[in-house]
Amino acid sequence: MSYWLAIGLGGIATYLTRLMPLVFRPRGSAPDALRRYLDALPIAVIAALAGAGVAVPDAGPTHGAEIVGAIAAVALARWRKNLLVAVIGGVVVVAGLRALGL
Amino acid sequence: MSPARAALSEGWPVLLTSVFIGATYGVLARQSGLSVLEASGSSLIVFAGAAQFATIGLLKAGATPLEIGASVLLINLRHLLMAASLRPYLERASLVRRLGLAYILTDEAFAMGIGWFRRGHRDLAYYATFGTTLWLCWNGSTIAGAVLGAGIGDPTRYGIDFAITACFAAIVALGARHRSDVAVALAAALVAGALKLAGASVVAVVIAGALAPVVALVMRAPQPAVEPTEAT
Repeated sequence: MSYWLAIGLGGIATYLTRLMPLVFRPRGSAPDALRRYLDALPIAVIAALAGAGVAVPDAGPTHGAEIVGAIAAVALARWRKNLLVAVIGGVVVVAGLRALGL
Repeated sequence: MSPARAALSEGWPVLLTSVFIGATYGVLARQSGLSVLEASGSSLIVFAGAAQFATIGLLKAGATPLEIGASVLLINLRHLLMAASLRPYLERASLVRRLGLAYILTDEAFAMGIGWFRRGHRDLAYYATFGTTLWLCWNGSTIAGAVLGAGIGDPTRYGIDFAITACFAAIVALGARHRSDVAVALAAALVAGALKLAGASVVAVVIAGALAPVVALVMRAPQPAVEPTEAT
């Protein structure tokens, strides 16, 4: 039951973030500092998710495989400009290193 | 080529990635104790990958619904900015259509859609087709992953659990344009990782995500107070 409450709250919050700018027109313009803070927020949140996933991939701290895997994914993304290639490359690297015992 | 076909022919690598990640989500959700219905419900109601993966972690950590709702809100605040950027192109649609166009707004749909509009196109078919197809891919693959998930065994053996983290890292790498982007991303990743190692599972991402943009304020000092070319 509390699961559906959590999903419901999360769903409403998410939908409002998507909808509000399409329905309401902001009055005036935000202060410059706030605008630059908000500009940087998406990349910060996604990078924080990546950092948390690398540091503690499952129950315990990383043994190093995930650090190398993340570096591989970043390098592949910059090099090939292709999300799928980067994701699969990262997964393969991590699977390989884990198989080696890292 | 029609806008709808262009959306599919240009967007297929991203769509395929979403199938891969969606199936991963289904598998991990199932293995962390959710039913097929609960796993799919999240993809249907929240429809935001990063927040859905975070929700699984928060449930494991014993977070309350309010804590989960607040975390999902922070993770998805970025949609406000994306929707604001798309607004000039989408505001011609009727209110009812905008309700639907908002529902299919994801990181991926934003990236593809804004790219199309910036090439000078004005139609909504490209964004709508890509967003709807992504929705189908995500929800379909969630169900498939959740149904098969119970029988797959330990996903860590194949590194599949790492797919979403690799996806986040790659999205950041693809999106970083300025030096300050790189600094913000590194700061956020390091702070979140450190907090997570220190045992702060529920708040690690929220705190790191909220703090790291300050780096951008420090690095890019305010421009001299010159108003952008107003006719005088």
